[in-house]
Amino acid sequence: MTRTQLLLRLLLKAAWVRKDRALTALVSVAVVATIATAALTIYSDLESKLSREFRGFGANVIVTKTSGALTPSELAGISKTLGHAGDIVPVAYAIATEATSKSRIVVGGADIDKLRHLNSSWSFSNTGQGSALVGARVDETITHGGDLKLSFGNTSAVIKPAGFFHSGSDDDSRVYIPLDDFVRLTGIQPATALVHVEGRPQEVRNAISRLSSALPNAEVKPVRQVTQAQTAVVGKTRSVVLASSAVVVILIMLCMVATFTGSVLERRKDFAVMKALGASNQTVNFLFASESALLALTGSIAGYILGCAIAFWIGKANFDAAILPQPLLLVPVLLGSVVLALIASTAPLRLLQQIQPAGILRGE
Amino acid sequence: MFLRLLFESFRRQKRRKSVALLAIALGMSIATAMIAVGNDIGDKINQELRSLGANLVVTPIEDTLDVNIGGVNLKPASEGAFINEQDLIKIKGIFWGHNIKGYAPFLNAPQKIQTRNGEVNAELIGTYFAQPLRYGKEEFTTGVRTVNPWWKVEGSWPQDYGDSPEQLPPDVLAGNKLARQAGLAIGDQIEVGGRKLRISGILNSGGDEDQAIVAPLHIAQIILHQPNAVRRVTVSALTKPEDAFARKDPDKMSPAVRDRWYCSPYANSIAYQLREVLPNARVEQIRPVEQNQGKVLSHVTGLMLMLTLAALLAAALAVSAAMAATILERRQEVGLMKSLGAGNTAVASLFLTEAAFLALAGGIIGFIAGAILAHRIGQSIFGSAIVVHPVVLAVVLFAAVLVTFVGSAGAVRKAMQFDPAVVLRGDA
Repeated sequence: MTRTQLLLRLLLKAAWVRKDRALTALVSVAVVATIATAALTIYSDLESKLSREFRGFGANVIVTKTSGALTPSELAGISKTLGHAGDIVPVAYAIATEATSKSRIVVGGADIDKLRHLNSSWSFSNTGQGSALVGARVDETITHGGDLKLSFGNTSAVIKPAGFFHSGSDDDSRVYIPLDDFVRLTGIQPATALVHVEGRPQEVRNAISRLSSALPNAEVKPVRQVTQAQTAVVGKTRSVVLASSAVVVILIMLCMVATFTGSVLERRKDFAVMKALGASNQTVNFLFASESALLALTGSIAGYILGCAIAFWIGKANFDAAILPQPLLLVPVLLGSVVLALIASTAPLRLLQQIQPAGILRGE
Repeated sequence: MFLRLLFESFRRQKRRKSVALLAIALGMSIATAMIAVGNDIGDKINQELRSLGANLVVTPIEDTLDVNIGGVNLKPASEGAFINEQDLIKIKGIFWGHNIKGYAPFLNAPQKIQTRNGEVNAELIGTYFAQPLRYGKEEFTTGVRTVNPWWKVEGSWPQDYGDSPEQLPPDVLAGNKLARQAGLAIGDQIEVGGRKLRISGILNSGGDEDQAIVAPLHIAQIILHQPNAVRRVTVSALTKPEDAFARKDPDKMSPAVRDRWYCSPYANSIAYQLREVLPNARVEQIRPVEQNQGKVLSHVTGLMLMLTLAALLAAALAVSAAMAATILERRQEVGLMKSLGAGNTAVASLFLTEAAFLALAGGIIGFIAGAILAHRIGQSIFGSAIVVHPVVLAVVLFAAVLVTFVGSAGAVRKAMQFDPAVVLRGDA
């Protein structure tokens, strides 16, 4: 039997004969690897997952032309700056007079579908066959579900509602009609664009500064309450997840080290027998180390797979979007587990080396 | 005899016991810290979401439509209806009064502003900045500084009733856009409606207020000749995320169901209660804020809940593995005890009692360490402590005993299966 064969046999037997011992070590490594993988995978994707939650707040940037209307090239510039990550709704406003009550109403012209999509938090009730969106207060004070007769200076029109909405803002006193109709009635082109920039707080800030430099004649204003809340909530949540994961991972690592160290110390007799049979310190160290490394490798591979599965499931269950495995984490998790296991198993050997094997075997 | 065995076991196997104790304490501090953080995260994130501002708006029912484009208000000051400022204090008196984090009344109208560079047209907005109020025995402070936390002021905030020396003009804020256009600076005097005002700060709100003069409410009421009048009130309330039950109409419910609805802090039920105390008012959710903050909140708390569960499970497994490892190594002890005539029950009870002692000691140490960790996390991230509820101690101790028992029981059973003679010979 060659040395290598002997070594392999020793390793195999050590794991096979004391299955329970190997199993507890395996479980403790696997737990560390699982929780570390799950926590890091979630953490790495958390910012974008949480930022998506802020989509429902509607526009987070408002672009207003200081004089005149937004030109088609400027609008194209905005959508180019945003790329795919966002919505743009150009809006034009004018004041109309309602025919029967003589009250003045702010009328907005916009792409109605896009406007509804942007303001998904508004509550809509669909009633009519028309094309206009009528604010709740307009409906309560003037139309009561009926049509709206509006005059814009020289022109006038009958507006048929497609639905009513509650927003809780000034918009409740407004009526929105399709932009084409609006331009035909008033001749006014949109000077304002409601923009929703999708992305992480940093990406939103970058997009705002890119927009400001791309549109020198317009004012680019972030809706501060939304951007600020997003930054605060996303940042704080990330910090909490990071801090608590760090606490959990470090403590559970210590727990694993304690288990490993404890079980190596329990094997002082194995150690003494090997030494008595003539093994050098180096050989014994090597044997114990390779045993731990093998266990740690197996345990951490299992842990990585399990951790990815947990992260995936948490993403699905909580954010309705899976958190995908991060292949980049595999190497650090495996390497970390093996290094920890090596430290945990070889450090106690150094203690044992100070004792004579005979003393251990005698039971001192 | 039993006690002596127990005592000697702890005295002679200090190393082995300390490994087990360490593992239990580590596992339980994970449990304590995660339970505490997970339990408190909802409140903490809800506080952060306050920076979205108010989630309810109160307007007079008889009011005419707002005519407002791009921050320019075209509705005359005299038009429309008002809410009586004196009634607002009742907001604090509703069933969910404690959930009202603040409210801010507004009265606004376009005015001519005399500056040293000439005359400009701008909106005059009256509001509370940080108005001390008293409801019954409770004293509280409310105004835009709490309700609109994103308002930034360069210079100093005005006093709400800071007109103590009569000869000094009251302080107001100038919006930063208006200040730029009209050349206003901190310390300048302006005149609005025949009253002299002093600019104490430049306001940056990111909204329409940037083009306005913001004054204490009573000053605006005097200038606009509208004593006690308020055009609009925004209310910031802590609410429970809306669900299907919240959207039901309370007037069509049976009394028992209605009580349950009334006593849940939904935005709709708080709005309903506000309408009860302010009969001529229309209360509406500020939908972008109200509809989304609940969603964000429930996702953050859901995430922490799942992470907590995962961490608890991991801690339980780690502690069980550690306990099993220490007991598995004590096979020879089991063999010796059995060969000296001990029954399985005696052996098991000795090991489990040891485990229970370890669990209690480890649980207490872990609880203290975990509480300190949770406290540190709260302080460093939210600037406010995360307090660990004493009930968590009971939960942690119970969990510690349970987990160590589960970990030891399997190992003890395994150790007892072997024939003592075989174990003692070292063949097992």
